[in-house]
Amino acid sequence: MPITDDMIIEATKELYSRALRKVPEDAKTAIAAAMQTETNETARRTLELQLKSAELAEKKDTFVCSDSGFPTYFVKVGSKAELDCDFKASIRKGYEVLVDTIQPPLLKHVTNPITLERGYHGKDMPIVSYDFESGADYVEILCSPKALGSGRWAALELFTFPSLETIETYILDVAIKAGAQHCPPVIMGVGIGGSFDHCAGLAKKQTLRPIGQKNPDPTLAAMEERLTKAVNGLGFGPMGTGGDTTVLGVHVDFSSGHGFTPVAVCFNCWINRRARVRMWGDGRMEWSE
Amino acid sequence: MSVTEHDLKLPLTDESVRDLKVGDFVYLTGEIFTTAGLPTHDRLLKCLDGEEDLPFDMTGGALFHLGSLNEEAEDGSLSIIYINPTTSTRFNGHMPRLIPGLGLRVTGGKGGLDAACARTMAENGCVYLSFLGGGAPILTAGIRKVTGIGWPEMISHYRIARIEVERLGPLTVGIDAHGNSIYDQTSDLAHDKRAEILAEMNSAREGTQA
Repeated sequence: MPITDDMIIEATKELYSRALRKVPEDAKTAIAAAMQTETNETARRTLELQLKSAELAEKKDTFVCSDSGFPTYFVKVGSKAELDCDFKASIRKGYEVLVDTIQPPLLKHVTNPITLERGYHGKDMPIVSYDFESGADYVEILCSPKALGSGRWAALELFTFPSLETIETYILDVAIKAGAQHCPPVIMGVGIGGSFDHCAGLAKKQTLRPIGQKNPDPTLAAMEERLTKAVNGLGFGPMGTGGDTTVLGVHVDFSSGHGFTPVAVCFNCWINRRARVRMWGDGRMEWSE
Repeated sequence: MSVTEHDLKLPLTDESVRDLKVGDFVYLTGEIFTTAGLPTHDRLLKCLDGEEDLPFDMTGGALFHLGSLNEEAEDGSLSIIYINPTTSTRFNGHMPRLIPGLGLRVTGGKGGLDAACARTMAENGCVYLSFLGGGAPILTAGIRKVTGIGWPEMISHYRIARIEVERLGPLTVGIDAHGNSIYDQTSDLAHDKRAEILAEMNSAREGTQA
């Protein structure tokens, strides 16, 4: 039995809704852990308030944040998955159904960058990227609604044969520039290398990696540890009102490239909106995050 | 270090504004105004230029950078489904005129305002309160009644909503009326620490590479 359009429509609609309502368990665990080590009393209370807001949103079945952002989806198609669906049309349809039916309703955040008009729909919405998974018999879709709050502080710079020191200095400077603005404690995603466009994608995907999972590459793991300590040493703290907890983690990945090395940095705010589903041809849908 | 909590009634008195210190927690009861719109802030400036009438007299009041999903029912009754802060630094260019022009004693949102705004606030006896981003369920629970919606022709979160709140909070004092700004303090400190932090990173890196 194949994966159908109806399943894709259901997944698109439900993932967005879930991402707006539920702070992922790993983010809650990381915030709770930070409360134990945070030395600033105002910061500790802000972290506590964040956990309370997450809990209340689940209890009341409402949004954690009023800014639902715009929808982005990452689709991974297993090479052994049986398909009878039009991904592009069904994802668009799923988003339309969501806008028409979600309770509470969304605010109009989809923005035309040329006219600055805002609505629910627009050119190229939702933003979707596709990838393959060798050997998998399922389709996986991940939804990551993105808004201005943390979205606007992402940055990308191009270097030629940079040292690790140069790269890490740049990452720290991006964190200093973002400062108090991105609803900390955040997850920082870092991409290094590849091409300009690929590098930005690497950074973004790193913000979606489970929090607290050690990087299997020892060089990157050490880098992540150094950068986490460094950014937290800056002292911006939860919601930028001071403290030891500015990042819950810095996640780094790289790709081989040429002598020009793009370095991309982006952020996910403390609510870490992301929701994921795996679907099989027999109709099973496994939701996670 | 203990944190001071204030349970305040709006409009704030001169004394209660001056009593607030950065890092204090505040709960507010009374009337507030909210908007998350950049076009709204542009339009408010035009009102100060005399091009249009203000939808509300906000003198001595509180205008917050909060977006809301508001509705007017067929019977004319108003409601708000949820509220939540937006990034205040987007309005750095507006607030030095709006604070004295509208006569604001309180403003707020998330992320703070710049040093020029903090100076204006000190001169005019105004404080900035930080709301929890992603705090919609907590903040919405503080709403008692919606008493007015200004500029209803704009999209929901751009409109100016007049709301009666009860123990809205907790909110953190980010900029007090004495010119102290948590945002300037933390930013200055981060810049001061940068060289030291980079040196620590370098020695840690050499340690792992040795």
